[in-house]
Amino acid sequence: MSSRLWAAGATAAATVAAVLVLVVVTTAQRRYERAFALRMAATTAAYVAAVTPPPPPPPSPRRVPRGRRRAAVPAPAPPPAPAPQSPAARSYDLPSLLTQAHALRTLPGWSSDVEVYFGTAPLVDATAPPLSPDDLPHLAAGGRWRDGAALVPLNDRAGQEVVGAVAVRPRPVPHGPLPGGLGFAFPAAIVAVGAAATIAFRQHSLRRGGYVGAALLLALAGYLDVWAAARQSTDRWLVDTRRLLTEAATRLPPPRARVAITDLAAMVRDGEIVVGEPAESAPRRVRIDGEQRAVVAVLIGPGRWIELRSVPAEAEAPKWLILLLPGALLGPLAIMALRWAERTPVRSRRETVMAWGFLAPAALHLLMFTVGPAIYAIYLASLANFRALVRDPLTWNSFVTSAAYALYVPISIALALAVALAVHRYRERGGWGRRLVSVAFLLPYVSSVVAIALLWQATYHAGSLGLGRPDWLSNSHTALLALMLVSIWAHVGGQMLVFLGGLDAIPQAYLDAALVDGAGAWRRFWRVTLPLLRPVTWFVFLTGVISALQMFTLVFVVTQGGPFPLHATDVVVHRIYRTAFGPQALGMASALALMLGIVLLIFRWPQLKLVRRQERHA
Amino acid sequence: MASVTIRRLSKVFDGGVQALHELDLEVRDGELLVLLGPSGSGKTTVLRCVAGLEEPTTGDVVIGERVVTHAPPAERDVAMVFQTPALYPHLTVRDNIAFPLELRSVADAQIARRVLEAAQRLGLESVLDRLPAQLSEGQRQRAALGRAIVRGPQAFLLDEPLSRLDAPLRIELRGELLALHRALGATMIYVTHDQTEAMTMGQRIAVLHEGRLRQVGTPEDVYQRPADVHVARFIGTPGMNVLQGRGRGTGEEGRVIEAGSLIIPVELSTYEGELQLGIRPEFVGLCAVDKGVGNADVLVVEPLGSETLVRLNSGGQALVARLPGFAEVRVGTRVGVKVDRRRLYLFDAAGAPLA
Repeated sequence: MSSRLWAAGATAAATVAAVLVLVVVTTAQRRYERAFALRMAATTAAYVAAVTPPPPPPPSPRRVPRGRRRAAVPAPAPPPAPAPQSPAARSYDLPSLLTQAHALRTLPGWSSDVEVYFGTAPLVDATAPPLSPDDLPHLAAGGRWRDGAALVPLNDRAGQEVVGAVAVRPRPVPHGPLPGGLGFAFPAAIVAVGAAATIAFRQHSLRRGGYVGAALLLALAGYLDVWAAARQSTDRWLVDTRRLLTEAATRLPPPRARVAITDLAAMVRDGEIVVGEPAESAPRRVRIDGEQRAVVAVLIGPGRWIELRSVPAEAEAPKWLILLLPGALLGPLAIMALRWAERTPVRSRRETVMAWGFLAPAALHLLMFTVGPAIYAIYLASLANFRALVRDPLTWNSFVTSAAYALYVPISIALALAVALAVHRYRERGGWGRRLVSVAFLLPYVSSVVAIALLWQATYHAGSLGLGRPDWLSNSHTALLALMLVSIWAHVGGQMLVFLGGLDAIPQAYLDAALVDGAGAWRRFWRVTLPLLRPVTWFVFLTGVISALQMFTLVFVVTQGGPFPLHATDVVVHRIYRTAFGPQALGMASALALMLGIVLLIFRWPQLKLVRRQERHA
Repeated sequence: MASVTIRRLSKVFDGGVQALHELDLEVRDGELLVLLGPSGSGKTTVLRCVAGLEEPTTGDVVIGERVVTHAPPAERDVAMVFQTPALYPHLTVRDNIAFPLELRSVADAQIARRVLEAAQRLGLESVLDRLPAQLSEGQRQRAALGRAIVRGPQAFLLDEPLSRLDAPLRIELRGELLALHRALGATMIYVTHDQTEAMTMGQRIAVLHEGRLRQVGTPEDVYQRPADVHVARFIGTPGMNVLQGRGRGTGEEGRVIEAGSLIIPVELSTYEGELQLGIRPEFVGLCAVDKGVGNADVLVVEPLGSETLVRLNSGGQALVARLPGFAEVRVGTRVGVKVDRRRLYLFDAAGAPLA
């Protein structure tokens, strides 16, 4: 491939990636606009239903069913129908409806055009095409997006039957803060493509980071645009609904002189209305009970203020990063792949592709069942859960218990090393003694943990190793020690096996040299054998601690975390289990699991380094 | 320094393999003796018996005036250098060299002085604080030497210390070892399977074969006057040609030996029957067909520059001729063979020399 052609290919790949990001951004913006329109249409429909009186004949003696005595919380949908009414009584007074609809169009400060259909006929703009008769039954299932407008059903006053529709067509609003309403994503995309072209045609290394930086910038810019669109959709709804509420306060039909907040709340099903303070008219973000809320103050009468609250849409915006980041990084990845393909000879290229083909099922499995759940756990474990966990003494107890339990590892390692040294010496004097000892120590290691647990439980219950003492397991001071004893017994064999391998791997020349140099057995062990075993010892120690911190079965079978109330053996994984399947939420358990994961990483890191170093030696 | 004496040393390993058969050997004080033999000849076992790493089955090891046959290595005061440098990987070069002194509780100041001294002798001053993994192969072997010389032992035992090095480095270190030997006046037993090394280094060479000592002598001795056919074959590159032959008389022309396709007149009058005829490659020449003592087919020609080795097939027996410079010999042709009759060695069928 010529280098110019290659560079053109790389640039094209970067362009595709940039366009992909722009498509994601546009899609997100459109989605938030539609969400706003649908929400607005629903609110408008509720408003129309609330402010339009029923047809006059026969005049209703009592007030229509509004004003339920309820707290200022979102009203349930649909409003319960009171006494059975005739369909006519449930419908609307057409002239009033016409008036209300026209009033909507002239509502100052609205950011959308609205159309109200009675039946299929448009009321506001009489010359507009009517709905088709099929539309209304379809709408009964919910709102829909049609021809650039959100169309939601207009139910009758009792909320039982669809008698019309409300369409809200949002006026185009500039999305971005740049001149011409441009977002950050578009200029960032141009910069990214430019950076890609530069490194491609000048044959710069990807490592210099120019393009990778630009791609990350593009993802960030796209995210900012999406976030702004989300925020805008909430703000638009707040502002427009504020207008509607003010209007509703004056239009809600008599006899009630003062409009009840509950009446207004009934109009706003997906928001909250509470009594408020005077404040400026722009929407704000405030934290209420630890949760972010978008709020706006609404004046509904002389000196009467309410506050309209909504969950801000931008709280959900980070999910778009799942598309934006990979989209943006597709460019650098593609260039990396192109670079690789360019400098790799045909056969190894084919072999690599084939290798990845074979790896794909395993990789997919890993992604779905390891990486996926881990990310899901992170998603589940919110900050609030962490805060709650940190305050919970049981959390700290479980970590302390696990740490104390892990103290058996150094003891079992010392024992395992001693046995390994003995067996190793034994081997030099001939065969089967070593095998016998090995098997004796290995049996517990290869046995089922549950079986071991039950065996020892029975042993302890029978009087703690025949010492005639009270059961160690039911004593809070000894229960954990008793479990550690079982773990030592179970793990010495496996650790000994690893040490034996390590001892066999020490070249005899080292020991011979030490012997000739005049070192006795003690010094040979401390000065030669032990230092040469250091990587093995580290390996055994780290894997031992990791598995100790992950211990669950033993506690689950033998003590269930008890004796209580001290939770004397309640180790972390058992706590995770209890949290997840106990009264508390899965999110809490996920947070706890993450905390444990971080602790384990501290031990996993040196272990990985160790393995890598051993590979280098080999 | 001290002499090392081995008396009737035998070693039978656990599996029943007899590695050494009644070995007698005396290494004089300050002498560099090379133990030469092919792989499996038992030369390392001798060394390990001297060091105390193996316990002899019978016989005695005497270092100086002391019989140390059953003493542990630590009490023998010998130093050993192995085929692998065997430097402790977790210690720096300095600590490695200091190790034997530390074991003997030598004062710190003295340790520092002696380590530096040894390092200077071996050109290791600049790498004293490095770990073995950071050294070159040659530096590592030097450091191993340093660990041996630092404590001034009664004797040095060197077990093929250069065999793992590449050729130029081997030659360089060989020279350094000789210089070291002269400078220290040390008793050294040097084990090798490389007869060039043995010839160039040893004041005396002890040739081992299948656990038996075949000959002890100066390099010239073992080359010129091999004690048996094994020694003859083993010494020299390539070793001596040994042809299976038969002596018989043909009347007036005196006696001849028939070996393969060769009929070689000899002055040996008393021996008749199966015998082995040895002749060094440099005393084998080529000539026109039927002009020499017999004819042979050319199998391989190896031009080495200064000389050319021609491998021949003389009636089913292998024969090597060493010719000066580039010889014009074609593979597959038949040539005549000349031999220098004054340079013949005669051995009986068992391999012992015939007067």
